[in-house]
Order: sequence, then C-alpha cells, then structure tokens
Amino acid sequence: MSIFTPTNQVRLTNVAIVRMKKCGKRFEIACYKNKVMSWRNNTEKDIDEVLQTHNVFTNVSKGQTAKNQDLIKAFGVDNQTEVCRQILAKGELQVSEKERSDHLEAKYRDIATLVADMCVNPDTKRPYTMTVIERAMKEDIHYSVNPTRSAKQQALQVIKMLKEKININRAEMRLRFFIPGKEGKRIRDKLRPMIKRVETEEFTSALEMVCLVDPGSYRAIFDLVSKESRGKGRVEVMDLKDVEETEEMF
Amino acid sequence: MKATSIEKVKELQQDASNIRNICILAHVDHGKTTLADALIASNGIISKRMAGKLRYMDSRDDEQLRGITMKSSAISLHYLLETKEYLVNLIDSPGHVDFGSEVCTAVRLCDGAIVVVDVVEGVCPQTHAVLRQAWLEKLSPILVLNKIDRLITELKFTPDEAHLHLQQVLEQVNAVTGSLYSAEVLEKTGQTESSQVEPVDGEEVVYDWSSGLADTDDSKLYFSPSHGNVVFASAVDGWGFKIQHFSRIFSKKLGIREKILTRTLWGDYYVNTKTKKIMKGAQAKGKKTLFVQFILENLWAIYDAVFIKRDKERSEKITKSLNLNISARDVRVGKSEPRAYLQSICSQWLPLADAVLSSVCQYLPSPSEINGDRVEGLMCAATKSFSALHQESRALKQDFLSCDPTSSTTIVLVSKMVAVEAKLMPQNKPRPLTIEEIMKRREIARQRHAERQEDKENGNSSTENSTPQILDENETSAEELPKNEQNEKNEQFIAFARVFSGTLKVGQTLFVLGPKYDPTSILDLNVSAGTELEEAIESNPHVSQTSVTSIYLWMGRELESLEEAPAGCIVGIGGLEDVVLNSATLCSSMACPPFNALTVDVAPIIRVAVEPYLLSEMNNLVDGLKLLNQADPCVQVMVQETGEHVVIAAGEVHLQRCLDDLKNRFSKIEIKASAPIVPFRETVIKRPKVDVLNELIETQDKNIMQKWSKEKEEKTALSKNGKSKNGSVVIETPNKQSTLVVRAVPLPTDVVKILEEQSDLLKLLSSMEGFIKNIIETIHSQLKIKQETLEQIKQLKSSLEAAFSSAGRRKWSNAVDRIWSFGPRGNGPNILLNNEDDYNRPSIWTCAYVDDDLQNIGMYRECDQSIVSGFQLATLSGPLCEEPMHGVCFVVEEWKISAPPAASTEGQKEQEDRSEDKVVTFKEDEPATPVQNYSQVGLLSGRLISASKEACRRSFQAQPQRLMAAMYTCNVQATAEVLGKVYAVLGRREGRVLSEDLRDGTNSFDIHATLPVAESFGFAEEIRKRTSGLASPQLVFSHWEVVNSDPFWVPTTEEEIQHYGEKADFENQAIKYMNSVRRRKGLFVEEKTVEHAEKQRTLSKNK
Repeated sequence: MSIFTPTNQVRLTNVAIVRMKKCGKRFEIACYKNKVMSWRNNTEKDIDEVLQTHNVFTNVSKGQTAKNQDLIKAFGVDNQTEVCRQILAKGELQVSEKERSDHLEAKYRDIATLVADMCVNPDTKRPYTMTVIERAMKEDIHYSVNPTRSAKQQALQVIKMLKEKININRAEMRLRFFIPGKEGKRIRDKLRPMIKRVETEEFTSALEMVCLVDPGSYRAIFDLVSKESRGKGRVEVMDLKDVEETEEMF
Repeated sequence: MKATSIEKVKELQQDASNIRNICILAHVDHGKTTLADALIASNGIISKRMAGKLRYMDSRDDEQLRGITMKSSAISLHYLLETKEYLVNLIDSPGHVDFGSEVCTAVRLCDGAIVVVDVVEGVCPQTHAVLRQAWLEKLSPILVLNKIDRLITELKFTPDEAHLHLQQVLEQVNAVTGSLYSAEVLEKTGQTESSQVEPVDGEEVVYDWSSGLADTDDSKLYFSPSHGNVVFASAVDGWGFKIQHFSRIFSKKLGIREKILTRTLWGDYYVNTKTKKIMKGAQAKGKKTLFVQFILENLWAIYDAVFIKRDKERSEKITKSLNLNISARDVRVGKSEPRAYLQSICSQWLPLADAVLSSVCQYLPSPSEINGDRVEGLMCAATKSFSALHQESRALKQDFLSCDPTSSTTIVLVSKMVAVEAKLMPQNKPRPLTIEEIMKRREIARQRHAERQEDKENGNSSTENSTPQILDENETSAEELPKNEQNEKNEQFIAFARVFSGTLKVGQTLFVLGPKYDPTSILDLNVSAGTELEEAIESNPHVSQTSVTSIYLWMGRELESLEEAPAGCIVGIGGLEDVVLNSATLCSSMACPPFNALTVDVAPIIRVAVEPYLLSEMNNLVDGLKLLNQADPCVQVMVQETGEHVVIAAGEVHLQRCLDDLKNRFSKIEIKASAPIVPFRETVIKRPKVDVLNELIETQDKNIMQKWSKEKEEKTALSKNGKSKNGSVVIETPNKQSTLVVRAVPLPTDVVKILEEQSDLLKLLSSMEGFIKNIIETIHSQLKIKQETLEQIKQLKSSLEAAFSSAGRRKWSNAVDRIWSFGPRGNGPNILLNNEDDYNRPSIWTCAYVDDDLQNIGMYRECDQSIVSGFQLATLSGPLCEEPMHGVCFVVEEWKISAPPAASTEGQKEQEDRSEDKVVTFKEDEPATPVQNYSQVGLLSGRLISASKEACRRSFQAQPQRLMAAMYTCNVQATAEVLGKVYAVLGRREGRVLSEDLRDGTNSFDIHATLPVAESFGFAEEIRKRTSGLASPQLVFSHWEVVNSDPFWVPTTEEEIQHYGEKADFENQAIKYMNSVRRRKGLFVEEKTVEHAEKQRTLSKNK
C-alpha cells in the first residue's frame, strides 16, 4: 500500500505541469521547466526538449496516467504525443519564475524604448536615451510593469508619470493645415488651445499654417478640422516628431 | 636655503636673458616628477629629505594615488650660477601615452627640454614620442640619464659593465634623434627635388644619390657628455653630475688641462700612469677608461660602503675625504636606514639640482635667444609658408625675436586652460602675515593683556566689551572676500600662457584670436580704429576683445598674484574663461596670426556614453561636460543623434581621469558611463547567386525567406494579401477600399552616395514639396529660396539621373522623375518610386521647375500624404531590428482606390479602434453626405498610412534582407616587430586591412583598415596592450557596410549542418548584431529561456 508519507514521497524537480480540463476530466502532462513558453512562441522546435515523457496523466505527481478511453473521448485520438501537443498548446500552466522575469524584462525594455522614442528634453529638443529612461522608471517613479497591458499603453502612462518628476515632454508633431475660405479663421480659433506653437501662418485666400502640436491631440485636431471645414480643410503631418537630429560638438 | 620671495621673481622676470623656460619630458616612470622634486627642494620649497617622495608637482589626489603625473604643471625656480641669477620656469609633464596632449601644451611654451631616460629601461616608446615632439617644436634638449643607482643596487653591475651600458643607452637616444633628423632632411630634399625643373633635353642627367644627408651638419644634434648636455643622475638619491664637474676636480689633481679632460673623460680613453698621458683605445688594451676609473669607481665605492656593506668606518672616511658635513642624525640612522644616509652623502657631494640647473642655464636658450625658424614655425602652419603671411604679420616676427618687455606689441600664447579650485586662488588663501601685521597683532594682544590686567586690578568689567569688537571686525573683513568669491564659482579657469613679446599687465585690453583666425581677413579690410574696427571684430567669430583681470605665477600647487608679466615669462591669466575655449593667442595687434595648432600625436579615440544616474540631473551633467571640455584640450564631448552625451578621450587612464573630474569637480553628480549605442541600418540586396558554401542557390533560400515572412503574416493578420513572383507585395486596406502593390529594390550605390551627401538639400526639397499643391506662386516669395539653391536642386537632379542611368538604363528609366519621396524624415537615402501609370503625380522636383502644370486628381491626391507617411514610418524602423533603412527603393507598382463602399457599416463595426467607433456614432448623428465622405477620407488616410507602412515592410521582407554596420576607418602606425599582433587584434574584431605601407626613413608601418563600430569598444586599449604601446590606432567613422551574412540563414542541408552546426549562430555576425539590438530594445528575440531542458539548476532557492 502506498501511503503518502514524507519518506516515500518523491519530489518532482525540474517538472512543470501543464493542465487541461476537457469533458469533465483533468489531463496533465509533465514538461521541463522554462520550456513551455519557448515552445509556445515557437523558438523551441524539439518536442523532446519540452516533454519529460510522452505520457498523458490525470495526476502527474502521483504518477496516474490517463486512460485511453478518456483520451479518445476528450481529444478524439489516442496518440499520446498528439494529445500532448494539444495540451501544450492550450493547457494552463504555472509560468516559471525565469520565464516570467524574461517576459517582464522584455516588456520593460519595450516600454522604455517607446518612451525614449516618443519623448524629448524640451530644453534641448534632444531625445533621452533608453537607459536613462529605464533607470528613471525604476528610481524616479518606481514603475511596475503590467505583463498583460500593451507596451504602448503603459508607455503613455509612464510618460505622464515621468512628466511630474522630470523635465520631459512628448516630442511635438509638426502639422500643416490648409483650410480654404472663410472657415479658416473660425477653425483656427478653435484649434488654438490644442496648438503648442505656430511656426508660420499665411492667410490669403486660404489659411495655411504650420505648427507644433502634442501628438496625443492629433486625432482630435484631425476630426475637428474635417468636421468644421466640411472636408475642405486638410491636415498634413510634416514631421512625426520635432527632434534635434544633428550631432553637436561642445 | 630660503624660499625665493616673489619680489625676487618679479625682479628676475624683467630681463628675458635671465629666464629659462624648460620642461621635463620622458617615458612614464622614468623619474620626471622625482627630478622636479629635487629641483624644487634646491629652492627650499620642500625639504630635501622629502624630495623624491613627495612628488610636489602631482597635486591631484589620483595622481598621488596612481603614482603617475596626469597634467603638466609649472613652477618658477631661482638659481644662482656663478654670480648670475636665473629664473627657471620648470614645467613637469606627464609621461603616460594618454596624456600626450598635456606634453604638447608644455612643450609649446618652452625653449628647452630636459629629456629623462631610465638607464635600466633604456629608450621606451614614449621617449621616442617626446623626442619627436621636442624636435618638431624645435626645442633644445639636454639629456638626463636617470636611475644609475639601479645599475649598482639592482643589476649589480661592475663599473665597467655600467659604463658600457650607459654608452649603449646614449647611443639609443642618439639613434632616435638621428632618425628624426634624417627623416626631416630626407623630406626636405625630397621636396626640393620634386620642385626642380626637368633638365633640358640632350643634356645628361646626373642623379644625386647622396640624398643630402652628408651635406648637412649634425654634430650639434647629438647628446654627448663632453658637450655638457648629458647629466648622469639618480633623482631618487638626489645626486647627479656632469663630466665637467669631475674634470674640474681631476685637472687639479692630475695636472691635466680641464679642457682635455672634459673631452676625454667620456669615451674610449685611459690614462697612462707612467707618462701621465691620456691615451686612446682603452677597450682594445683592456684598460679602464677614464670615466670608469675616476667617476664610476668612486660612486660604486660609496654605494658599497654605505648601502651594501654598511661599513660605518669606511663611510665616515669617505665623507671626510669628500669634505662633507653629514648631520649626526643621518649618521645615526645610517645603520638602519642606509638609503637616507646615502642620500645625504650623495646629495651633498653631487647635488642634482646644481648639475641639472647649471646645464639648463648654460646650454638651453633664454627666451630672448629664440630663433627665427621656431618663430616661423609658431606663426604659420606647416602647409603654409611664412612668406605667404600678410605684410604686417611678418613684421611681428621681429617682436618675437627681440623678446622685449618694453615692446608696444604684446603677444601671449595660451596653450591650455586649467581649472583651479577657487579656494586655491591666491586672493582666497590665508597668506602669511607681513611683519607689520604681526607687529600690529602683537600690539593688540599686548593692549588686551594690559587691559585685562587693568580690569583685574580695578575689578571693573566695563571695558571688556570694546576689545573683542575690534578683533571681530578684523576677522570678518578678512573673511568676507573669499566667501563671496566661493559663492560665485567653485572652479575657475586660468590660462596657461607664455608672454612672447611686450609686457602683460592687469587690466590691459587685448584681442583674443581663436585658432582659426586669419589676420588677412581683417587687415585687408583696412579699417582704422574706432567703430569700424569694432564692427569687424563682432562680425568675425574668431576674434574678441577682453581685458586681463589677473595674472598669476605658477608655483606648483599654488599660485601667486602678479601685476605684470614681461616677455619670456610663463604665467597664468585669469578672466579668460568666457573668451578662450582651449588655446588662443592674445595680442595687442590684430595683425598677429594665431599660433600654429598644437601638433598633437594622440587623437581622442576611446568613446563612452555618459549619463546622470538620476535623470533630473541632466542639466548638471551638460554644464559639467562643458567645463570638462574647456579644461582638457584632448577630450572631445558631443551629443549624438540618439541624445547620448559622448566623451571621447585619448586612452583608458585619460578617460578615467575625465570621468573622475566630471564626477567630483565639474558636475558633482553621480554619473554612469557605458558603451555607446551602436547604430545599424537595414537594407535589401540583390538575390545572391551562391549560398554560404559557394553552391548555386535555386530554391532553398527563397523557401526560408517565405517561411519567415509567412510567420510574420500570421502574427499581423491583416486582410487578404498575396505575393507575386518578383517579390512585390499586395496589401489592401481593411475595408478593401484601396489596394497597394509594392516592391522593394536595392538602390544603386552611387545613388545612395548622392542622397547621403545631399541630405540637407533633400530636406529643403521635401519641406517645399507640400507647398506646391497649394499656392505655387507664393512659395518663392514666402520661403525666399535663393536662386542658387534652386540651381543646386537642379544639379542634384541631373547627378541623380546620371547615377541611375549608369546603374542600368532600362531598369531605372525615367526613375528620377518618378521619385515620390525620400525617407526617412524626408531626407534619407531611401526612395519611394511611383510606378502607377494612372496616377500622374506632380514630380517632387516641381519647385525648381515652376512651369510644371498642376492638376488635382481627386482622391489620389488627397491620400498622397498618407502613402508618404507610411513610407516614412517604414523606412525609419525596418523589420530586422527597428533600425532605419538604407539604400532601399520601394516601387509602388499599383495603387487603386475604389469609390468608397456605400456606408458599409458592417465593415466598420468590425474595427475595434475606438476612434473609428467615434466616427461611426458621429455619422449616425449627422447623416449629411458630404461630411460622411470627408470622414471617409480621414478614415481612409489613416488606414492607408498603416497599409503603406505594412506594404513597405512586407516587400522589404520579401527580399534578401541584410544588416548594415557602421564602419570606422582605422589608421594604425606600428613598428615592424608588432605588426603581427596588430593584425591579430584587427582580425579578432572583424577588421579588414586595406593597405599597409612602410613609411619613408623609419621602420614603422602605416596600416589602413576598416573596423565595425560595434567591435570598436576597447579596441584602442587592446591594441595598445598587445603591442606594448608601439602601435596607436586612430578611428574615424567612414561609411555603412553591408554585413555579408544573412541574419535569417539556417543550415538546411546535411553538408551545411556538418559545416556550421545546427544553429549556425557562432559564425553569423549579422544575427549577433540583430539580436543584441533587439534585446536592447525589448523586441522579440528568437532564443530559448534555457538551452537544454535537462541541464537546469533544479533546486529551489532556499535549499
């Protein structure tokens, strides 16, 4: 009789269990740690590097294998490897520490890269480097990454938080408006609050204006212009970001 | 000896013939600073006992810590030689390679040099370098053969061996000078020969193969003890001598004339005791030379008695016979500390300072003896001849030569700016009290004492209040001044300068001439004084006017205030930090040409990116960097396109010093230094004909390509898209309103080159491009485009046409006119080409050719900008690792816009984009048709941007993609011995040697190579270490080069797997670069979390 006591209990090491519930039955497979994610994003192609054994279990730690009928009932095949593949692809698993940290780190970097890409130092119009942003995210705002939200969303949030602490701004967008007729003046007044700086302005038969705006308000501006001018006005993006590009020797 | 007073210095400064400006040059650790210590000790500034240990000139903490000198610093010494008093301005220079620029600044200000050579190590690389430098600046050198004590104590040479060794070292040094000399002579004769006119026909041509070397006299050039320009010394033990010293002694003893002895004391001579005659050929006859017999043996005897055997009686006997007074203390410690005893004997017997300073004063020229050659060398660069200078400028030569303090023209050369901590400035320093002050204080104290006495007697406390008040007043007034100053600035810049002519006075107004100033530009204007002149100054960026606020005398760590500095002095000048960056010429006349640029051997090569630890301290960092740039002539600071602040230094040690300075002095914040970000470019190439194993490719490569892009497609599941055979990609907008067919083609290299060179012009072009369609007439007036720029644009167009047609007339026919846009950012080396027949788009060149007809063709025109934006976005970050593209041409084969599908709300509901939802709701509110149309356009334009971006990326992926690496050209000068090592380092770092030439007249090679920037971090340091400093590389960015390997290549055939292993990751440079960039950016990298499943550490943390 096997009684589950500390002496005859065998601890599983280097095992990650992927579970799946199907047709009211629980199926488990025994995999190596840190390998399942690689398999799922297709970097690991050798299934033997992922599976400990090609058996399908009902309980891995107790060593109870699943019955063939159950497999056929649930998956339609009794080929163990095939079932393993299905479970690997869709089953749930505890993401191991290393995988998690790798993923978080990549995300963290991604966010920092995006922030560095979108922002400038407003005094010098030069971008901050990614490493500086990365450290500022840690030291200044103590940002913790959410693995499920997209990097861009989080980057925008980070920018907002960074703005409170340090001298940083979204790189401004350079837009050109071309609004014909008498609409021009009216629309210009409406645009005013959204525009950071007007660079050139020409008002002859039509309003022609080049100005810098915050990229966040582009959509609103665009909608406003097309709505108010009944489609006659045009907004063109001249520069996605207004950044000092040249190298400068001190 | 008592310290020289400042008054004495001032007095001596008045006569230039009393002044000697010298610097000490040598290889690192050959004893420059120790020698300087000995000289300083002779002036009583430091104690003799401490000389050699204190390293007085090394005032920085890290200098003391590391034991190397890092900056050149000056001190003024007083020396009395046979009733004539001299002022010796001594500059100690660093010996480490990294600080070559500091040596330059020192050499520039001096007339003479003391070259120190360690007799044990002999001539070292840096000895070569400094000798060359002294040669180029036309300094007269004297040689100090240092560390002779090591021959006795460490190497245990006999006097004979030592003599032989010394001879060899001397020969080495002379060989270096000789080669410098011959190189110059050869160069000169080479020049004259080449300029000779060809002889008349028929005459026989006689070639002169003697190369002019034999004709020129070189006897003065070499170091020879009998000339008196060689000093034998041991700076550590404080002794040094010249042959002359001994010849004087022995001429009395032996009754031989001093002159003869001087000539024969060094060399192959011996004394025949019987005939009392000096004979030649000591070595052949196995006799002791005079030098051994009279000098070395005596020295050896002292060392033997005092230091090695520690024989007290014999040492006392020696001291007695030498007639020396050794303090009882030294004698007492003689047993336990023989070195101190030895030092006190030797330094009294053969004082080093005397030997060195006397030869300095005798053999090195005073400022007034400056020769014409050197003046011309200073006044004009090597490429220009002196006679090409302006008349008035040439007249100034006389001022240089006369070196007259009373001259009306003041000429001062600033060779560097030194940052000095404000608290070290003389006006802020507590100075010793003068006698009157001491008397005054004593008087006050006495009064106070008396009053107290009185108080005691009277038992009255009323008077007590008054006395302390007086004291307080005194103290506060003394303290106020420095406090104010300190608040202003912690660092003050003082110019390290030499007065060449006239007298520099406090308050004098001078012109500051920058290194690029050209006197002819002002002189030719012929302006008289007054407002016109001022205008001329203002318009010229290289000239400014300033007044001298203070003058200082350099005293090693300290500064002394001066009121004026006559010609010939080396001084510090305050108040120039705003007008002088690194070096400049101060002159009272505008005619003076700026001094020839310093001949710096070491160019800054080691780059690091610095950033503040806290982002909020960015401004401090920038300010600090500016200060650093001013304080160090050899450091370069720049901001890169990526926003990184890059510091470029001459070497690892130099860099360390710069960073320390930045951290502790200039910016006072925590900083971080790291390898700078290395940029890459992405491009496509023509489909290769052969694979890695040089076999013909038919299908395999394509398969892999397609597999990759298919995977991509799955991820970015867009609507239907297909790919035709020639690699063009079809993309539709999500609502199927518009279809794009795009194909990526590599651009011809010539075209890319033109585009790269003309990026400014392209920028202008693209900024104008938008205006064309609006109001063409107004642009020209509005932008005020000059006719010349229009001409330039036309020229650019024609040169592009030429480049295209030479690349392939059929393929690129009419390409220039069909250019749609340049990218990224409107001025990059990528082209969007319009091949759609239906869309007759106005050419990008319209602005230059006004006569083009303009017609608006509805929808196409409206959405034109979207396609361009998409193209710009795609070229800004390619699919490999989000780096910009380079030299790719995207051909739009087809572009169709169907009529907007009638309010296909179903299609739009599918869109999850929130903003689009808004449009939908808005449409329902207001069902007016025009608005709907325009919102459609707006919607379409947004979708078109992403479609065109996707099309570009996809078509890029359909071609063989390659990474481009930035390349440095690398010039290495190396001697023949280390050539192999240089090649090894270059090879390891993926460098490629382009050429290798032997330099004329030397045994060094010039190697020309290219090296990827990505591999260059630490390259300079490695090459120096490997070649023990005999090779020095210089790196300059040159071009972009395609990395040959395919970043997606995986071995497929058995053969390939055998050859490269399963993953082929060890040789694929491209994949290494790509993954490193992707990892840095947090992009997806195709690599496993753990490589082998079974080989993991499986224990949990707490076990």
